[in-house]
Amino acid sequence: MARSWWWKITALVLLFFTYYEGFLGEIPRMPILNETIRNLYFHVTMWMAMLVLMICNAFYGILYLNKSDLYFDLVADECARIAMVFGIAGLLTGMVWANYTWGAPWVNDPQLNGTAASLLIYAAYFILRNAIPDDSKRARLSAVYGIFAFVMMIVFIMVLPKMTDSLHPGKGGNPGFNKYDLDANMRMVFYPAVIAWTLLGVWMMSLRVRIRKIEWKNEDQ
Amino acid sequence: MKKNLTLLSIVMISHSTAFAQEVEMADTMRSEGKIYVVVAVAFISLAILSFYMIRIERKVTKLEKEMKK
Amino acid sequence: MTTALHQYFKLVRHEVRLEFKNYHALTSLLVYSLATIFIAYISYRQSLDPITWNALFWIIMLFAATNAIARSFIQESRGLQLFHYTFLNPAVVILAKTTYNILLLSVLGFINLSAFSLFFSLSIHDWGQFTLGLLLGSFGLSAVLTLVSGIVSKAHNQAALVAILGFPLLFPLLITIIKFSGNAIQGVEWAINQPNFYLLIALNSIIVVLSFLLFPYLWRD
Repeated sequence: MARSWWWKITALVLLFFTYYEGFLGEIPRMPILNETIRNLYFHVTMWMAMLVLMICNAFYGILYLNKSDLYFDLVADECARIAMVFGIAGLLTGMVWANYTWGAPWVNDPQLNGTAASLLIYAAYFILRNAIPDDSKRARLSAVYGIFAFVMMIVFIMVLPKMTDSLHPGKGGNPGFNKYDLDANMRMVFYPAVIAWTLLGVWMMSLRVRIRKIEWKNEDQ
Repeated sequence: MKKNLTLLSIVMISHSTAFAQEVEMADTMRSEGKIYVVVAVAFISLAILSFYMIRIERKVTKLEKEMKK
Repeated sequence: MTTALHQYFKLVRHEVRLEFKNYHALTSLLVYSLATIFIAYISYRQSLDPITWNALFWIIMLFAATNAIARSFIQESRGLQLFHYTFLNPAVVILAKTTYNILLLSVLGFINLSAFSLFFSLSIHDWGQFTLGLLLGSFGLSAVLTLVSGIVSKAHNQAALVAILGFPLLFPLLITIIKFSGNAIQGVEWAINQPNFYLLIALNSIIVVLSFLLFPYLWRD
């Protein structure tokens, strides 16, 4: 799996597709958003990729707790790292977009706060990892913290925004934006775009895992 | 609050459908074909990214094979 | 089952007895939060509007909780810990510690509230709801921080880590609890506050279940 080419090529092809349709595809004409609705393919997808990688992190944490194999911890660590990369990308792109549609780079929005919180949580995760010198103990404690953090984060970004008015579409607040959720045309681009960015993230993650495995073997020799 | 929001939503939806054609979009850029310049630039940057990713992938695979020997 | 229950009550009693035995820890905790409230008083020097004092109250509760619970795994002697490892069920240990911390924090919460009402003129419209919020908030704060201090106790007991790891995890809880008690202060009808109440109950149960499931992994060394 890690060495096969087909999904990497799929990722690249879908990325080209995303960029092509992202600039040239049909989009609904909506006030305020205008052309910026195309950011859906380049900003929201960052969060989706981050979310998938965070799920991977929690999943490999559970695997580690059951099997006590340090390889699982390695994967969990790298998942969190790449999730962080995508998270920062999502935050920066979101700030640019928000500045031009909502009037300020940071607005008090539950979705925004939730994602900022998840970045902080994963920053804390790395701090915890750095604080423990022993390999297996580090793996165990960070797996426990990672799983706990993941559940709290899901509550934050999935449940809380539904209970408050949000500027994001589909959550009270801005019904005018709601329309693009229904636009079938955009969906046909959005879903492939999510898959493209996620696969790219997984690719980056697997490369880092493989490099670190080589490092391990080097240290053993 | 809730009531206001539903009212607002009705107003906004009817507004956006009635005046959909008047929303300002980058139509000139499209008709002039300049948008293809943007696409070309984006594609070049993507191509470089792809090339780089594939290079790293092959490098790592090579290293793995060397480690196995 | 009965032995587990027996162990549980015995452990809670043991914790309470330990606390009263070296009551200077308790006193220092009390002085800490009273001093913080006094600092808030001399910084504002006037009566606060409900939103501000509500936020201030919960921030002070957060810091008091961190201070109180950070030491919950530290104060035991090495020999006692060894005894716990060998003879007790880890799930029972975490539940007992959490219960004790909930008791401690609820008491501290009421003391803080009376200190607040001494310095700031409070205008709480619905005392019943506010008290309920105080109890639920103390519950959540102590449950999360007990697990975090369990993690940190294995990571060379760096006390600062409790705050770093705990705060991001507490965001969803704090947001909900501040909203809930804010509504209570303004005397909002129960029907409107109900979703927040259910969310708090759900959050607290998730936290307890997670620490029940995850703590045994921390325990084995």
